[in-house]
Amino acid sequence: MKDLYIARTSDSPEVDFKYSLNQLNITGEAFPEDANMFFYPLLVGLEEYLKKTDNQDVEFNFRLTYFNSASTKMLFNIFVLLNDSASSSNRVVLNWHYDEDDDTIKDFGQDVYEDFPSIDYNPVVTFLA
Amino acid sequence: MEIDLFGSFQDDADKKGIVFYYSGTLSQNAIATMGDILKQRLDNSDAKGAGTKKLFSSFIEMVQNALHYSPLVPDSSFEKIGAVAVGKLDDHFYIFCGNLVDRKYISRITEKIEAVNNMSRDEVKQAYRTQLRNYHHSDDEVSKGAGLGLLTLARDSISPIEYSFKDVPGYDNEYSELHLKTIF
Repeated sequence: MKDLYIARTSDSPEVDFKYSLNQLNITGEAFPEDANMFFYPLLVGLEEYLKKTDNQDVEFNFRLTYFNSASTKMLFNIFVLLNDSASSSNRVVLNWHYDEDDDTIKDFGQDVYEDFPSIDYNPVVTFLA
Repeated sequence: MEIDLFGSFQDDADKKGIVFYYSGTLSQNAIATMGDILKQRLDNSDAKGAGTKKLFSSFIEMVQNALHYSPLVPDSSFEKIGAVAVGKLDDHFYIFCGNLVDRKYISRITEKIEAVNNMSRDEVKQAYRTQLRNYHHSDDEVSKGAGLGLLTLARDSISPIEYSFKDVPGYDNEYSELHLKTIF
């Protein structure tokens, strides 16, 4: 399956889904005008990749510093897909990068940890500019 | 002299602690640019930290909300307009945002804001999590954000969301101007 790369813009994140390496990266800020339109192709691609992938270690590096409410909803759907895969066919580790002072990202990570028990949640305190 | 008007405008803005003010066409480009400018202003101030992230988050929610829900300006081509101000008074940042709304949505908007304002911190957090899990929100044809936007504002601000509706001369039966204020 072809890797997916989308460059960062002033209102949307860098998406680097290296399916060939089982490594997914998302970095930056997400507040596009239409979050559904931005995230929908990502979800479709991710779902297809996970369906074709079995007994692998999938790594998701989450490095978003801000996402608006509409994007939050779509991110939640990404975790639903990852959790389903982790509870049936693959091992999924979620490296949750956040700035120590950033309660919003920290708390959202905690919610993800509680809601998606099959994902191996790994919080990483870091400095994200 | 009319050139003095600018000086008095600036003095007035300074007195009210205005950090940023915009009034005009609303578009996603304008929002992204304003977001950048606001971030730079906050980075250069001594206010850097967790509070400014909440301010930025609410700023984006409020102006995107204005962009999504505003009707097109009456008798214009395809334009949406709004106004937004960020300021700081007595150690607290505030955001004002104003945009046109269809009068038929006034009661609905009022209900939604009142509902959120009547929640405790914990209830806001709980409602936020419930909304996030609520996949099937498509029965609501008007709301695009599944109610998360208002809950995000309530989560990040330190006091209830203030609001008022102002008449728009010439369009009394069709439109009002919605003013929102949040404090951080």
